[in-house]
Amino acid sequence: MKTIHFGVAACLLVSVAIGAPTEKLPPGEDPVFIAKSARAIDTHVAAWYRKQKLAVPAVTDDATFLRRAFLVSIGRIPTAEEGRFFLEIDDAAKRVQLIDYLMASPGYSSHMSNWVFDLLRVTDGKPGFAGNFEPYRDWVRRAMEKNMAWDEFTRSLLSSNGDGWDPKTAAVGYYTRDRGMPLDNLANSMRIFLGSRMECAQCHDDPFGETERHDFYELAAFTEGQGALRQGYMNKLWAELRDGDRRQTIDYNVAQVMWDRVYGLSLGGDGAGKIHLPQDYQYRDGDPGQLIGARTPFGKTVRISEKRDGGGGREALAEWVTDKTGEQFASVAANRMWKRVMGQGVYEPVDEYKPTKELHHPELMATLIRLMGDLDYDLRAFQKVLLNTRTFQFVPNPKPSKVQAGDDFHGRQLVRLSSEQLWDSLITLAAGDPDKAPRRSMDDRIYVANKPVLVGKKNMIQLSKEVLALESEAEVRKYFASLLSDVRKESGSAASGSDAMMMAGKIHRYGANSPVRASELPSPAPRSHLLYLFGQSDREIVDGASREPNVGQVLSLMNGYVQEQLVNNSGARLYKSLDGASSDEEKIRRLYITILSRPPSAEEMGWMLDEVKASGDVGYRNIVSALVMSSEFLFLQ
Amino acid sequence: MNPSDFNRCDELGRRRFISNAARLYLGVNLLPMFGPSVASAAPAAAASKAKNVIYLFMSGGMSHLDTFDPKPKKKDVMGPMEAISSKATDILVGKHLPKTAAVMDKVCVINSMTSRQGAHEQGTYIMHTSYEMRGTVKHPSLGSWVMKLGGRLNPEIPGFVAIDASQDSTGGGFFGAKYAAAPIGSPSEGLQDSRKPAVITQEDFDRRLSLADRLNKQFHGRYQNADVKAYEELYQEAIRLMNSKDLKAFNINDEPQSVRATYGSGRFAQGCMLARRLVEHGVRFVEVQLGGWDTHYDNFAAVEGRCKEFDQAYAGLIADLDQRGLLKDTLVVVATEFGRTPTINTEHQSGRDHHPSAFTCLLAGGGVKGGFKYGETDAKGERVKKDPVTVQDFNATIAHALGLPHDLVVMSPSGRPFKVADKGVPVTDVFA
Repeated sequence: MKTIHFGVAACLLVSVAIGAPTEKLPPGEDPVFIAKSARAIDTHVAAWYRKQKLAVPAVTDDATFLRRAFLVSIGRIPTAEEGRFFLEIDDAAKRVQLIDYLMASPGYSSHMSNWVFDLLRVTDGKPGFAGNFEPYRDWVRRAMEKNMAWDEFTRSLLSSNGDGWDPKTAAVGYYTRDRGMPLDNLANSMRIFLGSRMECAQCHDDPFGETERHDFYELAAFTEGQGALRQGYMNKLWAELRDGDRRQTIDYNVAQVMWDRVYGLSLGGDGAGKIHLPQDYQYRDGDPGQLIGARTPFGKTVRISEKRDGGGGREALAEWVTDKTGEQFASVAANRMWKRVMGQGVYEPVDEYKPTKELHHPELMATLIRLMGDLDYDLRAFQKVLLNTRTFQFVPNPKPSKVQAGDDFHGRQLVRLSSEQLWDSLITLAAGDPDKAPRRSMDDRIYVANKPVLVGKKNMIQLSKEVLALESEAEVRKYFASLLSDVRKESGSAASGSDAMMMAGKIHRYGANSPVRASELPSPAPRSHLLYLFGQSDREIVDGASREPNVGQVLSLMNGYVQEQLVNNSGARLYKSLDGASSDEEKIRRLYITILSRPPSAEEMGWMLDEVKASGDVGYRNIVSALVMSSEFLFLQ
Repeated sequence: MNPSDFNRCDELGRRRFISNAARLYLGVNLLPMFGPSVASAAPAAAASKAKNVIYLFMSGGMSHLDTFDPKPKKKDVMGPMEAISSKATDILVGKHLPKTAAVMDKVCVINSMTSRQGAHEQGTYIMHTSYEMRGTVKHPSLGSWVMKLGGRLNPEIPGFVAIDASQDSTGGGFFGAKYAAAPIGSPSEGLQDSRKPAVITQEDFDRRLSLADRLNKQFHGRYQNADVKAYEELYQEAIRLMNSKDLKAFNINDEPQSVRATYGSGRFAQGCMLARRLVEHGVRFVEVQLGGWDTHYDNFAAVEGRCKEFDQAYAGLIADLDQRGLLKDTLVVVATEFGRTPTINTEHQSGRDHHPSAFTCLLAGGGVKGGFKYGETDAKGERVKKDPVTVQDFNATIAHALGLPHDLVVMSPSGRPFKVADKGVPVTDVFA
């Protein structure tokens, strides 16, 4: 127990050491800059309160701060050790130190991955598609791990092209995930990165907004032409193999690796810069089928004439989104981060951009936009600033929000944990700190009919590179024949068994019920999973997660995973916190800190002591069960 | 389940429904100035035929042309798809629906559905709520409305169940969690965790609940939050459910082999079979989703795959309900967010894109005319030519079939007036 204490202490101390004044730190790592920026935000918030003739809410106690900071920044509750250590040390700077500790934790990128998976609809597979989006998922996960700047991340996705397996270009999954539906993909891009809702303009002029259908098509021209790279060379071979009985053969399965998993994940072209208006085009400003060039609808205008053949549309669009839309790109990113940290956006909904000058507190938003620029779109540093504000530490507001759509600072609103926060907290209780487990690695093995083949000899990255380099139908046929023969040879011998074991040792894969972070499980989790019950996004729509209560969730808490893995499982990690506790009071106290991150009140201690007296050892299990089923556990205060 | 049980719960349900309706008519939710709408609603209630709804949602946008509105004379529209005749004289269906064709004499086809929402999220939202998406209010789903207006038939088990569905489209909206669907992720597993684990004694189980209850009362005393309150109520509901003899409704493993064979073995088939069991036990509204209809890419292969999932399951459901005498009380709806374009997109391996201006939905049972076609599209299936039915009209028709007041105004907590089908008007021609 002691050593773990020191472990946490060491982390806190290290960050203190970094925090000592040094010269020329980039602003995101400079504690002076962070503290100053946090104060600037607080000044604006306080000014707003004064203007409204409201009292500035008080700062919350340590226990509430502890739990809130953990859940907001790394998406789980503290472990017993982390909780006890923070509550017991007496140091005026411990909140700042805790934030440093959390932002340096691998849990940060796990929690961000859940957010971005929901935002971008990152899914492992799609009905009717034999491939999967493994390399794209891995690319996004790594970008979060590296804390890639948001503008660079956005540009990489929007301007991507090439090989879906090459780690350098795997961002193409952003487009190939939506193959065949480029218009939906574009509407989503506008919503995600710029807070512009243009879905309606796919089919008609937006009666409420300003977007016309013509504008939408001009924008779509930038991304037009999203076919697979060189797939045409395989058309004939694929048609032959798909025919009738041959679908049952290994030939078909091997061809499927090339057709779906290589070509199917690749993205050709780089945005034509021109597009045909649809056949049902209904307005006077264009004819059905007419070829039109690319033009951006607002911000600094970027055009590509329909007479040009140079392409480069996706690159131009990416640059426009991040650099030529005035404050819009930065505002939407800053507001989304504000919502993540503070519970609700400065303006809501966060995917409908509002100009700063129209807001109730324009000074605050202007400060946030400037901060986003100063930090070069470093989202981690940006959130770190917000976490260091007094505003983040406001006591929870016991009353329902007064203002429906944002603009409300009457203290923090209570909100139910997201499904991922809940799952990640439950596994922390069941198995201890989940951030010590290695994260899921990319599975780059070649699967033929659901079995890995040629393991140790060739992986998907190599295979993809080779296939995409083929330059004629003849070369494709030759390559296919050779791949087929390799696979056949192997299935005849058992030689690759040992290789498979070796390789498998390096690949970390987790089944749906493994006690690992939600970000490492299948995306989305299967529908029988606790994550589904509690509203994880099904990855069909942008921000599809739900926090709405339903009876299935309550049944699950009473009879399902919680009972099986926590309450009735003597091996559950949370019972370790009882080691060495001598009195009943001490045991109850430790269970409270482990589960609710706070000591019990005197009244609660009385109830729990009665329970232990009445039920003996089983009493502790009953207490664990009651604490996890409590609303206090389910809600973020 | 034995038939006398069913009748009893039915009778109970009817009384409950009447009392619920009465409370609504007289209750605080009613706007006095909308008095006339209540009067006009009353006769509708008297004419009611259906008690339950099985709402099958084809998620992604079901191609009307390749299923229930084929245009066999237009080769360029149909591509490789062919139409086959059905048991109803003038109704043709796509060739991958042979079993469905054989029950079309019991089905009413609405070929003139029309909407302006051509994106999935917006289309799905309006189909489920009758309203367009807004940033400031979350509208209740159709199943929630039916519960709100009609109440439960069986007080012990949920009144609204969603199988394999997106939780985003089956929520209670501003009615709150009490009206949200109980979600079932996997039909073969039924309602997960609905039994007390055997290792826990009843005494310990009760002790846990009473401890949790004490903690929650304390917490709720501190925070006036609607969701916090909702969990408190859901605990009571969950316990009622666990103790209910009707819990077995959720277990499709009790179905005999002969019945399973009627539905087939797919996931959607199991969902349909479960829906029938639930309706039989007094669940008022069951939604089952079948995804994968977004056939932008290689439409014909994809539609064939979807039809394989759908065909036997749907035909089996209609036949099974009919044979048990439940079809007259159960409205079976097939809905989708929009249709698909008559133009075949060769760039996308013969795909079809979104097409909201004309699409097809189905009604069967619950007093609806069988073998009946309502509305018509033009020669290409591109525009509605006759008797357009808006999404709101469609939902008003569903409410009407249940005898629910489609024009009753219910206020949201923020004081805004809403109706189950917004300004929709029931299509009364479809009723026998």
